[in-house]
Amino acid sequence: MKENSKESGKGGKTKFTDPQYYTNRELSWILFNRRVLGEARDKNIPLFERLKFLSITASNLDEFFMIRIASLQDMVKAGYEKKDIAGMTPVQQLAALDKAVHELVELQYSTYNRSLFPALTQSGLTVIRSHEQLTREESAYIDQYFEENVYPVLTPMAVDSSRPFPLIRNKTLNIGAMVRGKGSGDELEFATVQVPGVLNRVVELPERDGKRRVIFLEEIIERNISKLFLNYDIVCAHPFRIMRNADLTIEEDEAADLLKEIEKQLKKRQWGQAIRLEVEAGIDKRLLKFLKRELAIEEENIYTIDGPLDLTVLMKLYGLDGFESLKTPGYEPKAVPELPAGCNIFDEIRKGDILLHHPYQTFAPVVDFIRQAAADPQVLAIKQTLYRVSGHSPIIAALAQAAENGKQVTVLVELKARFDEENNIVWARMLEKAGCHVIYGLVGLKTHSKITLAVRREEDGIRRYVHLGTGNYNDATAKIYTDMGLFTCSELIGEDATAVFNMLSGYSEPLMWNKLTLAPLWLKDKFLYLIQREQKYAKEGRPARIIAKMNALCDRDIIAALYEASAAGVKIDLIVRGICCLRTGIPGVSENITVRSIVGNFLEHSRIFYFENDEHCELYCGSADWMPRNLERRVEILFPVEEPALKEELLHILQVQLADTVKASVLQPDGAYEKVDRRGKKAVCAQDQFAKEASARAKAASAERTASKRTFTPAEHR
Amino acid sequence: MSVKTFAAIDVGSYELSMKIFEYSGKDSMREIDRVCRRLDLGSETYATGKISADKIDELCRTLKEFAGLMGSYKVDGYKAYGTSAIRETNNSAIVLDQIAQRTGLKLEVLSNSEQRFLDYKSIASKGESFRRIIEEKTAIVDIGGGSIQLSLFDNDTLVSTQNLRLGVLRIQEVMNHLNVGSSRLEQLVDEMITAQLSAYKKMYLKDREIQNIIVVDDYISPWAVRRAGSGKEESTIDAEGFEELMELLRTTSKTELARKLDVVEEKVPLVFISAILTRRIARLMGAVKIWAPGVTLCDGIAYEYGESLKMFQGEHDFEQDIVACAVNISKRYMGSRKRAETLESIAVTIFDSMKKVHGLGKRERLYLRLAAILHDCGKYISLVNIGETSYDIIMVTEIIGLSHKEREIVANIVRFNHSPFVYYEQSMGSKAMGRETYLTVAKLTAILRLAASMDRSHKQKLKGLKAVLRENTLFLSVATMEDITLETGYFASRAEFFQEVFSVTPVLKQSKSF
Repeated sequence: MKENSKESGKGGKTKFTDPQYYTNRELSWILFNRRVLGEARDKNIPLFERLKFLSITASNLDEFFMIRIASLQDMVKAGYEKKDIAGMTPVQQLAALDKAVHELVELQYSTYNRSLFPALTQSGLTVIRSHEQLTREESAYIDQYFEENVYPVLTPMAVDSSRPFPLIRNKTLNIGAMVRGKGSGDELEFATVQVPGVLNRVVELPERDGKRRVIFLEEIIERNISKLFLNYDIVCAHPFRIMRNADLTIEEDEAADLLKEIEKQLKKRQWGQAIRLEVEAGIDKRLLKFLKRELAIEEENIYTIDGPLDLTVLMKLYGLDGFESLKTPGYEPKAVPELPAGCNIFDEIRKGDILLHHPYQTFAPVVDFIRQAAADPQVLAIKQTLYRVSGHSPIIAALAQAAENGKQVTVLVELKARFDEENNIVWARMLEKAGCHVIYGLVGLKTHSKITLAVRREEDGIRRYVHLGTGNYNDATAKIYTDMGLFTCSELIGEDATAVFNMLSGYSEPLMWNKLTLAPLWLKDKFLYLIQREQKYAKEGRPARIIAKMNALCDRDIIAALYEASAAGVKIDLIVRGICCLRTGIPGVSENITVRSIVGNFLEHSRIFYFENDEHCELYCGSADWMPRNLERRVEILFPVEEPALKEELLHILQVQLADTVKASVLQPDGAYEKVDRRGKKAVCAQDQFAKEASARAKAASAERTASKRTFTPAEHR
Repeated sequence: MSVKTFAAIDVGSYELSMKIFEYSGKDSMREIDRVCRRLDLGSETYATGKISADKIDELCRTLKEFAGLMGSYKVDGYKAYGTSAIRETNNSAIVLDQIAQRTGLKLEVLSNSEQRFLDYKSIASKGESFRRIIEEKTAIVDIGGGSIQLSLFDNDTLVSTQNLRLGVLRIQEVMNHLNVGSSRLEQLVDEMITAQLSAYKKMYLKDREIQNIIVVDDYISPWAVRRAGSGKEESTIDAEGFEELMELLRTTSKTELARKLDVVEEKVPLVFISAILTRRIARLMGAVKIWAPGVTLCDGIAYEYGESLKMFQGEHDFEQDIVACAVNISKRYMGSRKRAETLESIAVTIFDSMKKVHGLGKRERLYLRLAAILHDCGKYISLVNIGETSYDIIMVTEIIGLSHKEREIVANIVRFNHSPFVYYEQSMGSKAMGRETYLTVAKLTAILRLAASMDRSHKQKLKGLKAVLRENTLFLSVATMEDITLETGYFASRAEFFQEVFSVTPVLKQSKSF
């Protein structure tokens, strides 16, 4: 009996941590990208939107290679054999991924070739696949285009025994050629030229028979390649693309000791080892052999592509003018009824907490909040965490303005936001110049929390206004990502917010937190506590239920706790967009758990957590996923939403997502995701419904305001 | 009253902290921000007597940040105090000057008794909870790194306060030397403190039964506060709750404790020592309830500022505590209570009538009262050198709420009440006090001397004293039927010094009312 004890000490071996109950996170990620690909394959979706989804799968895969596959390859080379959550060694993972990625790529290109390419032609846009298919006039046109626009920016490079193999830059598209020196015998040499990133890769040709025609830049260069190597005869020329192990991006999900281990073992590692080579199908064997040898790349990492390399080019096609009927009309975020344009945001917040649901509702009030704070003479200080901001961020401008207005402005800039480092440094400098106090977070921890605090001196003393969010303070992505935001002037949250910034500024943590829960120190325990509380209630026969929405679920402790809760009878519904290492439908383990993923026009990004708590339900939002990196190596904030009306609203959001029958895929016991079986159910698309609801609420509020404006005010007799 | 904001800064031995408070009306002191950063100034000062340049840099950097934060709240005032680490630095004047130059902040140094007094005020900042608890017999146990302070309350008033060299860091140091394992720690610490505490019990506690203990420390207080949860005012622990903590401390690993108590690991042994201390003291006193309000020096500093704004009228009278303390010291040295009361009353009457001339304030009036109360404590040792012996007794006896300098003032007044006055220009010792302070000593001495002469026979003959200042004459009229020849004689001789100090001639008039 004792053997079956369900006491789960931290890291203790129990039935619920058995690797067979877990899915490898990389393989789960592949499934996620397949769901996105599913959108590209969905004939109910406008053609150009499908192009966009296919493009997204390509850029997703690029990132996946640079970060995850690179990291696994490093582990294998370092001889690191620690098993993952699902009990797989790095070698096993790579082998499984090799197969899965090749399948994914095949599916990407069959989608392009068999369905999107013909559909485009049918819709009046011809993509000319190779320069050989050009008409005579078109050839003349592109040759001239080449001379005028392309030639000046090209840097051709030839390799012979005296010159080393040139550095081929990560992710760039190149044209490789085998050439033979004129009059120098039989010896073949290698030459290469990068397809310049500064030029649009999609080149539109003059219309023909009322049809629009485009060709990709690499074809134009290929056609003219002999002009680049005048002293040579071109034997063959083909595009190729390589992916390198992005420097310093060994994923931090693995323990720190692993990092050290790898560093030690890979001292001799060449800078940015090539980890993937993409070549055109039909590439000359001699060229391929040369590339393979020079890049020292293994057979399994070579991808022979039947179609254009680097499908992110499809986003450029999407951007072509016209074809509006083949795109989903752009969505304009709606006004927040509680915060009509021109209102004093502080006054409105004092009336009660305000919940914002982006992008259905506009992000403008968040920008206005900072703008108004910057201008308000009563505001003493503004503090904010910034992770990723848009190029010309109005938030940055407002913060700079606030500092110039003499407010104390403290901005935490997270420099370690992946792929955004350079961008971040630029505006961090700008803020410093304006007189803001810029801090760079805590050593070893990424600051992922999204919080803004405005301290205002009012008649009855200091009052603190706080905005908490699940998404970044980025006005551009706020139009695409679904996120929650909360405005409040609750004293308890205000105190906590002050403490958060003090902590981020290097001061000691507070004695205790009132309302907020922070990672890395307290958040995981809090979640485990909340899950275990449901478990306890379930055992006592009281109502117990968990609904949680997030982007990724791969923390073993959390999953084990969920399994245990499920086994105790807690009904658990999870809405996980991306990676999910939890498996459903395991008898005695996860029969009470469902997992669904919503992939739609907007990127699902909000994290919402519902705990039944014996009919005293608690609802939280936060910046953290249930991933080890979020819970253990980042500064994250979980905040409760406590006003009854707002709780209703949040619960409604979860319920609509659980009712989605259009964009939702459900995780099956066999590990596959399947679209909801819609028989007998009406079509519910959560994202569409939220858009409609936001629109209706904004209209109602605006009508009400107009109505109230129409009330005539009788003049008083004086 | 408009809203005021105030910053209280504590440059402690192991931590720098600042709290910002807001006062928006009667009894409405609200903490609106607090920052705290660890900086170990103590170890260095205690070992070398100096603070290194690195530490000063770090100190200044943090204080500058504090100043910035203060600025952002647009505070109306601030107080920055250094405690033992700064106090025990040989070059503290240089350190203070550097701080002033580099941060613009004026850092003042608290003596132990001032610091303890502020700690005590910090408890008072808890308002109603504090008032309720001191209605019963209560002891305040203020646990610091180097020493602890035990203060006893009876009936709403402080009756005694003693400093014992039983600070947690000091104890830890001893234990480190002994190299004891944690299993024996409890027993050894208990043994060590019991020895010192038994002397305390014999001398001061006697048979007093104490119901409540208020703990001020940085070790078990955070635990107690968290245990009580947010929103609740009182964080009291009964014996059972305390045993729970002891059991936890005994049986849990350091790492686990650090997690459970939410403290850094190196602090865990200090929590243990603090808990052992508290438990031993509670047992010694027979206390049943322990209250750890989790207040800090900053709260006391802010409370004092609130007092200056007259925020807490009708609250606890802290001056009375100082007086009560002096009375108890006098009692210990068998001073005459009656004589002291008479003297105090006469002296205060003269003081009040002379306000225009001496220009001294409320605080100086307190010195005078204390000097009157303690005027004869030296008799306990010698009936001949009363001045010197009284001076010595006062200088080595802590009076809570008085700084070292203030204590020196009181001791000098008492001394010169008996011995010939030594002029400022005549002694190095007096120069060390500064001209202004010494002038205060002279003025108060003159008043006390005159007052003493009026009760020369120690028979409290002069009742119903009235004092009126007209031009350059101070008319002192007494209504008594008794013979005051002795008093009149002494009066004349003492009047001389009084006249010298104030240029006012005192005249004693007897109005016999039949």
